[in-house]
Amino acid sequence: MAQIKPNFQPAVKRIKNFQEIALGFPKKFMVDEAIRYSQCIDLDCDHGCPLGVDIPTFIRMVREGDSVGALAKIREQNDLPAICGRVCLAPCEKASCAQAADQAGVSIRALERYASDHGRARFAAKKVGITTGKKVAVIGSGPAGLTAASRLAKAGLKVTVHEILPLLGGTLRYGLPEFRLPKNVLDAEIEEIRSLGVEFKTNFSVGQSMKVDQFLREGYAAVLLTVGKNSLGLLDLPGADLGGVYYSQEILLSANTHFEDQFKKNPSPRIGDKVVVIGSENAALDCSRVCLRLGREVTLIFPGTPEDLKIYSDDLEHAKEEGLKIEALTKPLSILADAKNFAAGVQCVRMDFADAGESGKWELKPVPASEYLVEAQTVILASGFKTNSAPLTLGSQLLLNENGAIKIHSETFLTSIPHLYAAGDSVQDASSLVEVMASGKKAAAAIIKSLKS
Amino acid sequence: MMFKIANKQILAKDVKRLDVKAPLIAARVLPGQFVMIITSEGGKWIPMAVAESEPMRGLITFIFQEVGPATIELGAMTIGEEIFSIIGPLGQPAVIEKSGVIVCLATGVGTAHILPICKALKKAGNKVIGIIGAKTKSSLTLEPQMRISCNRLLITTEDGTYERRGLASEMLKDILSTEVVRKVYTVGSVDMMQAVCRLTKDKSIKTYVQLQPAMSCGIGNCGSCRVRVEGKVVLACVSGPLFDGHNVNFEHYKTRLAAYRQNEIDPQQQEADEMTRSITKFFPGLLGK
Repeated sequence: MAQIKPNFQPAVKRIKNFQEIALGFPKKFMVDEAIRYSQCIDLDCDHGCPLGVDIPTFIRMVREGDSVGALAKIREQNDLPAICGRVCLAPCEKASCAQAADQAGVSIRALERYASDHGRARFAAKKVGITTGKKVAVIGSGPAGLTAASRLAKAGLKVTVHEILPLLGGTLRYGLPEFRLPKNVLDAEIEEIRSLGVEFKTNFSVGQSMKVDQFLREGYAAVLLTVGKNSLGLLDLPGADLGGVYYSQEILLSANTHFEDQFKKNPSPRIGDKVVVIGSENAALDCSRVCLRLGREVTLIFPGTPEDLKIYSDDLEHAKEEGLKIEALTKPLSILADAKNFAAGVQCVRMDFADAGESGKWELKPVPASEYLVEAQTVILASGFKTNSAPLTLGSQLLLNENGAIKIHSETFLTSIPHLYAAGDSVQDASSLVEVMASGKKAAAAIIKSLKS
Repeated sequence: MMFKIANKQILAKDVKRLDVKAPLIAARVLPGQFVMIITSEGGKWIPMAVAESEPMRGLITFIFQEVGPATIELGAMTIGEEIFSIIGPLGQPAVIEKSGVIVCLATGVGTAHILPICKALKKAGNKVIGIIGAKTKSSLTLEPQMRISCNRLLITTEDGTYERRGLASEMLKDILSTEVVRKVYTVGSVDMMQAVCRLTKDKSIKTYVQLQPAMSCGIGNCGSCRVRVEGKVVLACVSGPLFDGHNVNFEHYKTRLAAYRQNEIDPQQQEADEMTRSITKFFPGLLGK
């Protein structure tokens, strides 16, 4: 009998559409995978999950065929399981307890995805009654905001999420392409949170004309800021302001706001035949794969080694199958212009390990006389994200760290403005989805603690 | 949340006025701020100045020129139809304080941007001199509103069909020689703003220019509206759109504007142009001269 394997769209087919790559995981395969997982018996072990999901228990439930129970177990700690099951960087798979036993390659992420896709309860979730009269405003409906809203609602608070854009999800909707996170999965997760009694307000901008004290006047006891980051990075690269040079966010926003056929026919920022993407994070890979789906020739350039990539290994394999050219150990020096001030190519230099000084440490240094030119009509900058500048308009009292992140108290999550809390990507440096969610969860716990006392 | 169009008016050739029901924005918008409009789901995002706002009725007014496919789609909407989304208010409001004689200079549809600033400046007790420029008389908009909002209004047309013939920046030169101007606010084409900055720099008059680079998101996310001010790269949607004109790097701004001009060309129109070209190549004289 042939081995049962998960089905994927073949690479030749999937580079012509934006549909999700995995066509589904068969139950037999997932149960076998769950059996391969050797249970970690250390009770104090967190299994590498920043959210603290009880991984051994939920995998045991999957093994026994109880996907409903497994999902309920995940939901105790993780409020967006279907999303994490698709786009999480899966630190749990690299954790010492998962690496220790002879079971490398058990995809905990796929098991989580399987549980959340098949374990959805047949009946509507029981609504939590509003017990305390206190109201909390959450600003931003990204991963941190949604997690915090869900946690606060479960604690019996009245939560209102304010989102500036017309649709909910923040980065999850506008920063991840459809083939990585289908919009219907996101909508289902948001509906789940809505059923807890959370209210959502879209097209609501906060800042210059809506300050924190106005929220307090409207009866909110606390305001949680989860506004994320924007992409004012890599500005010191010469030629970054030429025509045809875009930030990753612009491409992803365009791919997510336009309809698929319309975007394929006429992508809103013009994308040339040859594309160079600079960056080593998920955003860089997503941009490359969007351009591959438009039939462009894409090269991914980054100065680090292939191990430095902050990308889940399966995603990288899929991108390679789709025809992505990856140039590791290559540092971009400048973007060259043509006569019309449009990008014509990227001047790069090779990097290699070299003995730096007497310390005996090996460091990445440019190789002398190894400069070369990569031809490109479009250059996408996808690294060096900095904190969102929008909250600065909330008031000059809001203090920031040296790196531009919002300054918060490490335990109470309070900013320098009373009653204003902050969490997520806007307070910490280069963090993955699951760390952002963990930050939102901790902030929610801090708010609950301070409001109850 | 949808936004209903309460009223629509055609002001001049290609220039339209829409009154849209948006109570939250109408109550909070300050002069100098703007909004992003998404006409329909999956449509393009258009930055748009709020020309007037009526908090009591919850209405905001847009005045815009149909230049690309997105604004043509917006201009084709009728009374009672609903706009998918209006994001705002965005950007920093203009500095409004009492300082004396202030010149507000606008050309083309820039008048819609300068109108709320004029109103607020006059209310703050300044003597506001408005200068509006247009190509011809028929493309002149908002003249009556500007007359009410300014203490003195001067009009120039490039072809001399109405009031004075010439450029708006030349009119400013005359004003500067007769009045003690404290501040200048200006919205319009790059060349005009650059000319104004050159005039005011000699007399060290504080000049605010409104930059309108291509904006894809308006909330400081995509970075398409990056401009160079005081040697630093900033986003016009978050730190602007009004900047001190003497610090703006106009050459850089022109590069950024040119980078997106190519994007605005309608592909269907381009196809039709190519077709015409190939026809005239093989059959010269067929389509006339």
